[in-house]
Amino acid sequence: MRRAVAPLLAVTVALVLADSAVVTLALPDILRHLDASVAQVAWVLIAFNLVLGLTALPAAVVFARSQPRIISAVGIAVFAASSAWCAVAQSIDVLIAARCLQALGGALALVGCLELLVAVYGERRGVAVWVTAGVVGTAVGPFAGGVLTEVFSWQAIFVVQVPFAVLAVPAALAVAASPELVPDRDPPAVRPNLTLALLSAALTAALFLLVLLLVEGWRQSPGIAAVTVSVVPLAALAARPLSRLLRPTHEVEIATGCFLIAGGLAGLAFLPSADLVWTIAPQALVGLGLGLTVDRLTAQAMEMRLPRIRHAGWTISARHLGVVVGLAILTPVFTADLQDAQVPAQEAITALVLDAPLLPEDKISIAEALGDELSQQEGRVPDLSHAFATADLAPEEQPAATRLERDLDAQLERAATWAFRDSFLIGAGLALLALLTVVWPRRRVTR
Amino acid sequence: MTLLRRMGLPVVALVLVAAVLGIQVANGGGTFEPLQPADPCAERTVTSRADGIDGLTEQLVLLGIDGAACTLGVSREALTLELAQPGTRTDAEIDALREGLLAAVQRMKDDGTLPPASDLLDEALDNADLNGLLEAAIRAIPDSVVNAALKTDDVLTRAIDDLDLRAVLADLDSRDDLDAQIQLAITQAVKDSLTARVRDLL
Repeated sequence: MRRAVAPLLAVTVALVLADSAVVTLALPDILRHLDASVAQVAWVLIAFNLVLGLTALPAAVVFARSQPRIISAVGIAVFAASSAWCAVAQSIDVLIAARCLQALGGALALVGCLELLVAVYGERRGVAVWVTAGVVGTAVGPFAGGVLTEVFSWQAIFVVQVPFAVLAVPAALAVAASPELVPDRDPPAVRPNLTLALLSAALTAALFLLVLLLVEGWRQSPGIAAVTVSVVPLAALAARPLSRLLRPTHEVEIATGCFLIAGGLAGLAFLPSADLVWTIAPQALVGLGLGLTVDRLTAQAMEMRLPRIRHAGWTISARHLGVVVGLAILTPVFTADLQDAQVPAQEAITALVLDAPLLPEDKISIAEALGDELSQQEGRVPDLSHAFATADLAPEEQPAATRLERDLDAQLERAATWAFRDSFLIGAGLALLALLTVVWPRRRVTR
Repeated sequence: MTLLRRMGLPVVALVLVAAVLGIQVANGGGTFEPLQPADPCAERTVTSRADGIDGLTEQLVLLGIDGAACTLGVSREALTLELAQPGTRTDAEIDALREGLLAAVQRMKDDGTLPPASDLLDEALDNADLNGLLEAAIRAIPDSVVNAALKTDDVLTRAIDDLDLRAVLADLDSRDDLDAQIQLAITQAVKDSLTARVRDLL
């Protein structure tokens, strides 16, 4: 058991931070299964990040006055129980409530695991394991969520967390750690935390929007979307070797990472087609940027600052409130843009149906079926295949109808891609703001 | 060494971002948008897969909607979507649609793409609920006589003038009601055209 303690605690950190984005690929399934709107389903992400962001710092205060192993174990147990609750939620409101509780347990677990990992490994290695586990969780979360949704269901995302968290409870109780009795000596590191918040907002744009574009706009399965977005964590792995090769200063590394994320998001805003291949290079830029920035900024925000747990709380708050800000800015923008895209999409569909080489009665029959389908879309990208399946066509008309269906789907892909453009550009703007916080001249301290 | 530490990574990043954005824009990255509606006032070639009355009707409707959209200053697609919605039609829409259909008849006449009346007669008789003897008698009339007596453009113009377009648009969902209205207007137009022809001869 003793050997498994630290890995279980690291897995818990990864799980909690993965939960920030793990449901991203499951959102379209949740949307359908719980009959929710896009704005409602965004709250599945917002609620978790908001509660985690708001409770991380108070959690750090609680830890300073109590036994870390007890509070950590309670936090992990609450996280496990609420993960199970998420899995059995039958309405969007219940799921959001369960996510809030999951985040509360997650905040206690995250802060507690830092103390326990330091107790097991020592200061330097303990913090490094905690930071790395967090980055791995953040990067791999969307991929894991997509695979689980594809192979099983969205509920599986929450179910698989339960046994790991349950095992981590005795692991936490097994660590003999005492509260960190250090006076509140250092002020929070404003600049790295601000950069972290802005980058988290930008990275949310990259993952959340890209996943929605792939699954809702381009009709890819969660599994395909998961494999596609796995480019981000893979590219993040290349960041360290590149950094070792060129040996930049920390500031240069972070500034370059911000620029790469901005460039990647701009690339996603200017996709030339709905072919998945075109998303690879922009995602690689985002992943490279992620690998250069997040762990470095987290370490910078905590380095030489005491009490350690309080500063860990600040970085968790910065990251997750950044995600909330990103979602709060982007959700209304892309839902409005998706709504606005309906008119050009409907006009393009009308043009293609009017000019289709089909018999007039077949055109009318398809137009009626399409009209029914489009009227039920409620702010989402419609699935036109049902309209073609229900249209009563002669066999000799089928090839022309199939061509028309393909052309209409292509128009919907164009409309969806176009609708996401502004949101990706806003994400790029957030990354450039993060860059500004890095390169902005520091005030000279005169003694 | 310091220069490499300061500039190495930023230069690599700059090259990567410029390459990605450059390749994407060069491949149409800035213009991946839905199809833009064509100018309804520009002349459009319309064809139909159907023969006879259905084909003629489709071509007239497509040209007519183009003309109406041009008059109203909207796209053909926007007008089609608007007309497909239930609700009351404005006088401007009805007038524009009628003018568009009349202009379509004139354009097809000028192009020489309007079929002679004899080409449509058999199909019209199949759809008409006529006494068998009368139907056989009409079918026996030679094409040259039919074409001399009935001009397609004249019949269509009269039918369009007579047609209650507001009622037609209200019945778009009911194909039987729609067919009945058009049938009635065309029958009346044929009668009026023949009467006018006889009057001219007298």
